[in-house]
Amino acid sequence: MKNPLRFLFSLLLATLTIAGAPRLAAAELKVVATIPALAAIAKEVGGEDIAVESLALPTQDPHFVDAKPSLALALSKADLLVTVGLGLEVGWLPTLQVGSRNVKIMLGASGYLEAASLVSLLDAPERVDRADGDVHPGGNPHFWYDPRAAKAIAKGLAAKMGALEPGKKAAFDQRLAAFVAKLDAQTKAWSERLAKRRGAPVVAYHKSWTYLADWLGIQQVAFLEPKPGVPPNPGHVAQVLGIARAKNVKILLQESYYPDATAKLVAEKVGASVLFVPSGPDVRGGQGYFAWMEGIVGMLDKGAP
Amino acid sequence: MPTEAPAAAPTAPPIDAAGPPPGPEAPSAVAPALTPAELAEIEAALGADTEKQEAAGQVAKENPLSLPRPAAGSTAAAFLPDIAFILDFALAAFSDQDEQLQTGGHDPTRNGFNLQQLEMSIGKSVDPYFRFDANLVFSQFGVEVEEAYATTTSMPWGLQTRAGQMLTRFGRMNATHPHAWTFVDQPFYLGKVFGGEGNRGLGVELSWLTPLPWYVEVLVSGTEASGESTARSFGGAEGVAVESPLDFQNTVAVKQFFDLTDDWSLLWGLSAANGPNASGRDTRTDVFGTDLFVKWRPISSHEPSPMEVHLQAEALLRRRQAPEDVLTDAGGYAHLFWKLAQRWGVAGRYEYATPVQDAEGERVVDPLDPGQEGDRHRLAANVTFWPTEFSRLRLQGSADFPELRDDPILAAFLALEVVVGSHGAHLF
Repeated sequence: MKNPLRFLFSLLLATLTIAGAPRLAAAELKVVATIPALAAIAKEVGGEDIAVESLALPTQDPHFVDAKPSLALALSKADLLVTVGLGLEVGWLPTLQVGSRNVKIMLGASGYLEAASLVSLLDAPERVDRADGDVHPGGNPHFWYDPRAAKAIAKGLAAKMGALEPGKKAAFDQRLAAFVAKLDAQTKAWSERLAKRRGAPVVAYHKSWTYLADWLGIQQVAFLEPKPGVPPNPGHVAQVLGIARAKNVKILLQESYYPDATAKLVAEKVGASVLFVPSGPDVRGGQGYFAWMEGIVGMLDKGAP
Repeated sequence: MPTEAPAAAPTAPPIDAAGPPPGPEAPSAVAPALTPAELAEIEAALGADTEKQEAAGQVAKENPLSLPRPAAGSTAAAFLPDIAFILDFALAAFSDQDEQLQTGGHDPTRNGFNLQQLEMSIGKSVDPYFRFDANLVFSQFGVEVEEAYATTTSMPWGLQTRAGQMLTRFGRMNATHPHAWTFVDQPFYLGKVFGGEGNRGLGVELSWLTPLPWYVEVLVSGTEASGESTARSFGGAEGVAVESPLDFQNTVAVKQFFDLTDDWSLLWGLSAANGPNASGRDTRTDVFGTDLFVKWRPISSHEPSPMEVHLQAEALLRRRQAPEDVLTDAGGYAHLFWKLAQRWGVAGRYEYATPVQDAEGERVVDPLDPGQEGDRHRLAANVTFWPTEFSRLRLQGSADFPELRDDPILAAFLALEVVVGSHGAHLF
């Protein structure tokens, strides 16, 4: 090598060209969602015009995702980041965003969308103090189990994706219209199917079902966690048992990622069933939004897993 | 109840609503490409605008370096940076308090109560181009600016720059704070090589996330080579006058991450640092290191499990030029952590350092640590209880075996850590 500096320089230039090339040649909009439910809604609207992935798995608690560097790598290639917001991802997402070095998906950039900004929120605490547990000052973030929220999110996503990729706006709007039509019909059908659960008292592990309960008229009468984020203790579980007996609770609800022993014990004592709800569709396995929601509705309908 | 946000909301930005209207949408990289002529027109128009503003004195008024004006009413609070306080407090007992060989600046060091640190962690976006982070540490005797740096958020090609006072990203543990540590104290060899506060200084770092299909990050940094507790194998307490870039401590590192499966992760790093040392004229020090972090956390399992296991290890080799000699030694640690339940974890650690040898391979007295000749082993184990993710209580025991001593130095710590304020994000 006559001139090693020159060789190094051309090597660097070549690498930079390779680094820049995929961005220019991007055929489809790359959407990264923090949780699978948001990824599935994005897929409904984006169809084959987008590539979508979820940072968290449906079997994983979205409060406690490890900020793996591979997730930063996924974000580095994203055109759009869709988050829940309300502090749900605060323990891991900011590190990944900065680590991704992707200006498009930083807070406030055009490729950043917080789903919480699209839906009507419930449960905003009157007092923000961690003596009350791991509270979310802006409101309860678990809104993706409510199909009415899914509709609002789909509309926001279609508008955002259309703005990022104006050439495909018509396709996004068309898919949105189809999704909304199907969702409206399904929401009505699901509500009718679950009309028998209206007013039903349920015990939940975490306060995850506020929006689902609001939609179906279910009552969350007690929580296995004494405070959000604090694991159950014997004294509190005894109280919950008392409430469950008094209110004749037949259903316990919890996401499949929470420990199951306490719920099973309470269910056995009061003669109820525990429904282990998947927190999102198996997006990688090809499960879509409707298949996942159908599963949840089916569980609630049967009153058994 | 209304089930959807008002019609205007969906595309409205979630925050910064009072800021300048973003127009229909900010331009994105995937928007139809502009012709060079159009770009030139835009540039010319922007240039003309800037000139007009300057003429009107507007730019001077909006100087980005001027202090923010206090905003009226409650909106001022919205701009406050995210602030968290972390208190590390320990009750300690040593079998030989006067001869204990703890090297960490935040380690418990005496029998009885120890304030390990009160850390104030601050962070916020500065503007669309920078993020600010600082860690101020309060001890019983004063305040220290442990870190205060700006990070770029909008450089192209996967590049990122940090500038200010910062811990270097040599190895895995050095860039982190006690809040992120599994053990109550710092591995002793890190303290011997870099100092009790970890390797840090004023400087600049450039890092690059390569476009390879797996995570490969390359970084270089130049930092001050002075400080007894921050760069003791380099300029140390005496310091080194800066006459050329070679008078900084220059650090390079490569970090690679492998997602073996959803449940298994592997992070592997190689680091090297070179800088002047204060032992003579033009004498320099090299430190080479490798670090490994393997973690198992069954997140893909349909059977819920709070368990997690990780192995973390670092090995360092230090070569110091001295007048007419080269001193070489090596050391490191490995720890295994097992989270048994949502609130309980146990861990064990082994540490080792070799004797210091001269150019002929003879054992010599370490000028930085006289009286500590020979090799050294230390064993430690601890149990952690987390009431919530914002507090933890740890009981740790250790046995230190320096070659010069007949009997080990035993230590026991009962340490409490509490965190209040905004929820900081954790590194992997």
